[in-house]
Amino acid sequence: MILVVGGSYQGKTEFARTEFPDAKYFNQLHLFVKKRISEGKNNSEILAEIRDVIKDGDWVIISDEIGNGIVPLDENDRTWREVCGRIMIELAKDATEVYRVVCGIGQRIK
Amino acid sequence: MITLIYGGSSSGKSAYAEDYVCQSNCKNRYYLATMLAQDSESQERVKRHRNLRAGKDFITLEQPYDIGNTVETKEDSIILLECMSNLVANEMFREGKINSQAATVSKIINDIKELDSKVAQLVIVSNDVFEDGLEYDEYTKDYLRALGKINAEIAKMADKSVEVIVGIGVER
Repeated sequence: MILVVGGSYQGKTEFARTEFPDAKYFNQLHLFVKKRISEGKNNSEILAEIRDVIKDGDWVIISDEIGNGIVPLDENDRTWREVCGRIMIELAKDATEVYRVVCGIGQRIK
Repeated sequence: MITLIYGGSSSGKSAYAEDYVCQSNCKNRYYLATMLAQDSESQERVKRHRNLRAGKDFITLEQPYDIGNTVETKEDSIILLECMSNLVANEMFREGKINSQAATVSKIINDIKELDSKVAQLVIVSNDVFEDGLEYDEYTKDYLRALGKINAEIAKMADKSVEVIVGIGVER
C-alpha cells in the first residue's frame, strides 16, 4: 500500500493519479474516519476495517493531514484529529511508500 | 546543542522524540513536561505520555514556566522539553495576566539558551498549529505569532530540525 498525505487542496489526488495510474484508490480517508467515529467505532476497529478493505491488490490511500491547527473547541473534532493521526501513523508503518504533497509536489518520506 | 522536533497534533512527534533521546549516549535523561493538566482530557494525555515513556529511564520534571533553571549543570545530560506550544501559552497567559508577544518571545528564548548551556543536548518538541486556515481572536493571534517566532528562532539555533509527518521524521 502507498500512503499519500498533505493539507487540503494540495493536489494529492492528481499527484497520486499521475504517479500510480493503475492502483486502486481509497481517497479522503480522513472523512471515512470521521464517519466511522460518528457511528461509534473506535481507533482499532476503524484501522481493522481499512486494512480489510485494502487487503487485495495495489492500493493508494489518500488523506488530508488535519492535525496542524489550534486545538479545536469541539470535543468531537479533537477526537477526530487524534484518531485520524494515530491511524495514519499505523498505516504509514504498513505502507511500502509514503508521500507528502505540498503545492502539488510530492515528497517521498518513506 | 539543540534539536527541534516539530509536527502537528497526533503526528507521532513525541514517540519520535523519545526514540531520538534514547539513542543518545547521555547518561541522564530528563523529561521536562510543560503542560498544566487541569482537566480530565489533559490528564488523559499526560497518562498516555507517561505510558509511552515507561521503562525508558526518564527523570520527569514538571515545569509549566521558568524553564531556564530546571536542572543543575551536567555534561552528560539530555533534556526532552515537551512541548513548546504549552510553554508559550503558560508564559503568555500567566497567573491571570497577559504578557505581550515580544516579552513572551524574549523570555522563552533566554530561558532556552540558559537551559541549553547546562546540558549536553536539549531536544525541543514543538507544535505545528498554523495550518487550519481559521481566523482567531487577537489573543490567539498573538499567541500564534509568538509561537511561530519562537519556532523559527529555535530552528535557527538548532543543529538539527526535524518535521514529523505520520510518524516519519523528515529533516528540514
